[in-house]
Amino acid sequence: MTKDKRNYQTCSSPWVKCIYGRLAFLCLAAAAIRYWLIFFSKYQSLIADHIEVSTPLNAWKRVKEGLYLFSIGINPYYGDMLHETPTSLFFYQFITESLGLSTGHIFIIFDIITATFLFLVTRQYMFMVYIEREENKSSYSKNIEEYLYTNENFRRAPLYVAATFLFNPYTILNCVGFTTTVFFNFFLSVFLYLLLSRKFFLCSLFLAFCTSMSFYSIILVVPMCLHAYKQFNGNFRAIFSMISFLVNFLVIMFIGHLLDKTDSFLENVYGFIITVPDLKPNIGLFWYFFTEMFDHFRELFIYSFQINATILYLIPLALKFHNDVFLLITALLYISTIFKSYPCVGDVGLVLSLLPCYKHLFNYSQQQFLILVIYIISFCLGPIVWHLWIYSNSANANFYFGVTLAFAVAQIFLVTDILFVHIKREFCLYFGKKSRIGGKEAILVLE
Amino acid sequence: MESTMHYALIFFVFILLKLCVTQEDIFTEELLIKPLNTDTVYSHFHFTIKWETPDSDFSSHSKVFPRILGELIERFNVLELHISLTNGLWRYEKWGYPVVNAGPGGEIWSWFKENTISIDKNWKELTSVLSGLLCASFNFIDETNTISPEFSFRPQGVFDGSQSVNSSYLKYASLPREIVCTENLTPWKKLLPCNAKTGLGSLLNSGYIHNTKYHSLGLHLRRICSDKLCTKTYLELQQTVSLVYDSKTLGARNWSLMKFFGQGVLNSCELANSSTIYIDITSNSSNPFRLTYKPDGFITSIRGGSVREFVKYDVVKNGGAFSVGVDYLTKPEIAITSPSLIYAHQYLSGYGKENGGLVVKITNNHWSHLDVVLLQNIPWYLQLYLHTLKITVSGKELKPIKLKFIPGKLRTRYHQLEILVRIPAKSIARVSVNFDYTFLKWQEYPPDANHGFYIPSAIISCHLPLARDFTGLPQDGTMIRDSFNASRSGYLVQIRTETLIVTLPTPDFSMPYNVICLACTVVALAFGPLHNITTKRFILKVKDNQNIIDKVKRILKLSFKKSGDK
Repeated sequence: MTKDKRNYQTCSSPWVKCIYGRLAFLCLAAAAIRYWLIFFSKYQSLIADHIEVSTPLNAWKRVKEGLYLFSIGINPYYGDMLHETPTSLFFYQFITESLGLSTGHIFIIFDIITATFLFLVTRQYMFMVYIEREENKSSYSKNIEEYLYTNENFRRAPLYVAATFLFNPYTILNCVGFTTTVFFNFFLSVFLYLLLSRKFFLCSLFLAFCTSMSFYSIILVVPMCLHAYKQFNGNFRAIFSMISFLVNFLVIMFIGHLLDKTDSFLENVYGFIITVPDLKPNIGLFWYFFTEMFDHFRELFIYSFQINATILYLIPLALKFHNDVFLLITALLYISTIFKSYPCVGDVGLVLSLLPCYKHLFNYSQQQFLILVIYIISFCLGPIVWHLWIYSNSANANFYFGVTLAFAVAQIFLVTDILFVHIKREFCLYFGKKSRIGGKEAILVLE
Repeated sequence: MESTMHYALIFFVFILLKLCVTQEDIFTEELLIKPLNTDTVYSHFHFTIKWETPDSDFSSHSKVFPRILGELIERFNVLELHISLTNGLWRYEKWGYPVVNAGPGGEIWSWFKENTISIDKNWKELTSVLSGLLCASFNFIDETNTISPEFSFRPQGVFDGSQSVNSSYLKYASLPREIVCTENLTPWKKLLPCNAKTGLGSLLNSGYIHNTKYHSLGLHLRRICSDKLCTKTYLELQQTVSLVYDSKTLGARNWSLMKFFGQGVLNSCELANSSTIYIDITSNSSNPFRLTYKPDGFITSIRGGSVREFVKYDVVKNGGAFSVGVDYLTKPEIAITSPSLIYAHQYLSGYGKENGGLVVKITNNHWSHLDVVLLQNIPWYLQLYLHTLKITVSGKELKPIKLKFIPGKLRTRYHQLEILVRIPAKSIARVSVNFDYTFLKWQEYPPDANHGFYIPSAIISCHLPLARDFTGLPQDGTMIRDSFNASRSGYLVQIRTETLIVTLPTPDFSMPYNVICLACTVVALAFGPLHNITTKRFILKVKDNQNIIDKVKRILKLSFKKSGDK
């Protein structure tokens, strides 16, 4: 702890420069775009109705329905429209009724706060990376400067992250479409900030919020414990953070139970996420797969797909990337975004905005161009084939499925590429860029 | 001496039997024919059996009551049962109100007695049995498409128990897709005492009655009081057939029983206590016609502010074969008919297969406001947003007096929406609600998936203050005869709207294997690299410069060398 502080004091020169002004400018510009789209353009309802933006899990229309049913004395969990926990519903009721702001303002504000938190998260992370660089500099091989972060990187990365979050079309659509993923992203960014600031109790509380909203966040418990273990070099903190997460989560569930005595919300929220009864298309893989699945194999494949999205890669990745918890979190978030049952563009927007943290790896990634092209094409083609299928009856479900497949492939390429380049960089940092063994040409292979 | 003894014994047994079997069965058959407007004629058959029964053991003795129905009532603890099988839509706006309201397709509702243990089980079994009895698809009724409306239905006969009606003993279901045909009529006719061989039932030739614009079979079972103090109860079975003939399909305006049914009344049913044909001749004043057969009597009915004239034919009295009919004296004039007091239409709004709206338009033509109950029974494959429910009357929003909503659930329960609303005088109320289409699993689509999915008709219940265009029976009446001069404080109509078809978005049904393979491939695409990254480590390896072409060259060189050596 003391060592870190000293480091911060002595090496703080890259952060001295005032970048808050730029952040404020970015936030204002992004808010202006969102403000225009929500209040002055006619696209808001169009965007909110789009399946890429609103899934059954996060549609604001369903929250409104739930709040309305609740207000006229019908249990909103008796029906099939609401898939938010009672605590979230209570939260939405609070922010829509008690704050005295219009819905649009609330979503913009939350998005801006999320961006600010991501900015702070990146700063923390860059600081951690900086310390690591300074500590391990002696053991690095020679002539590997190109693999290292420059001070410029350190200074710019937080702004890049904030800008990517604020200006990438996925998050803009997500915010303008009024999805509850905006709040999820907010909680997730607070969680990340608290995690990297080593405030483990609060951090586990926010992770419990995230988990109660989207079940898949439960996998982030592992990086949290890992980080606690690393930072304090002891089991106590790790176990403490795990237990406090469990306690927080149970408390949230208990509050949910108090708000909905019938407990039908458990089936309507978590059962819904896990068993995928609503096969409305989204940008993920589940919908068409389980539309076309044979009934007697359905359960088998639901188990295997859910395991694939959650714990299949959890242990191997945690073992491999235990040194860099933030990278581990990014990879896990990415994988769950690709493979979760009801993904939306808001999830994609958040993980994409974490990418500038790994800017130093971009030069070595091999499929950048391919990934970019697929991203752009699927972004444009998705709504087009959807329109052809649903409105003009001239295409069918396969077209849209093709687009979501391509999108999934692009995301898979992106995450595997980054991880691959990362381990290659690790190798090069310590062993140099050797390409010859005993005078013969040599190549790096995974074995 | 011995023979006298025998006779005495037989006589004694006979007396004893007579004493035991005190139940009496009364069977009446009636036919009401009413010209609706210049080119449609409504004919309604009404067969009524009243049976004074003990409270149990229905299956024991009955003279004319169908034994199978008695067994059914006893076995499933049924208090009331109403079934209708209908083809076509009753046009309330032009035709007024029928004697018995029925929605397109199959419709069934039943009240169970209060001591019933498992209503759901009884309901399921009852519908299955009725499915076999009437050759209809009632076996497709289960808890997913059954509702228990709270305001719309009341028991029509006597019911024991407290004053309040508990709607949990009511089960209602409708099958809008049901196609009604001969196969339903034949078993239905078999329930008649004279089995459609004699009497009015013999007119029901399937070859003729399915040519109509609208036909509806009905079967209504209830309990009624035998007298005002209700000391005894009768079990009453009403079997009805409603038909609307179109003069355009008949080829001429003049009609007769011969034209309608291919034959006149040949003889009378011996078991019937009365057998009567009524013809509504009120329209004679505006559209004069001549009866082709001399009637047995005239009836003037003053009911709820409207005066109607009828002629009566007694089938038993007329004895042999006869046919009644009407010859019009003048050419048809464009009749100005004022539309009915209340009527409704249902339609879909929106386009595409993503979001849509369901709209019911209720028109009130009365000079004062009307309180109506709207019941909508909406399938789960439409995901309803109740917060979008809007009731507007010429642009202004109307608040429902009462609203009952049971939200549906995917694959398990229909939405049930009941709204009590007061519609202002001379206005049109528009009730709309938005929904999302559901994407089903590929095996849940019917074989003709693009035919579409049906939405049952909405039911609008209203107590009309006037009996204009109203032909229904009063609640205490059992026969058409009872509806003459039967002025009451209100006249209950239950209007059914159109059924609708929605086409849900469909997947490609030929794709299951491809989709499973492709999606799994994508999963594998992630698994491969991630497996490599996490389980393997980097090492430097001497590059093997020889690629395939080099290898081939070397092999070729070697082989050439060998051949050269030879």
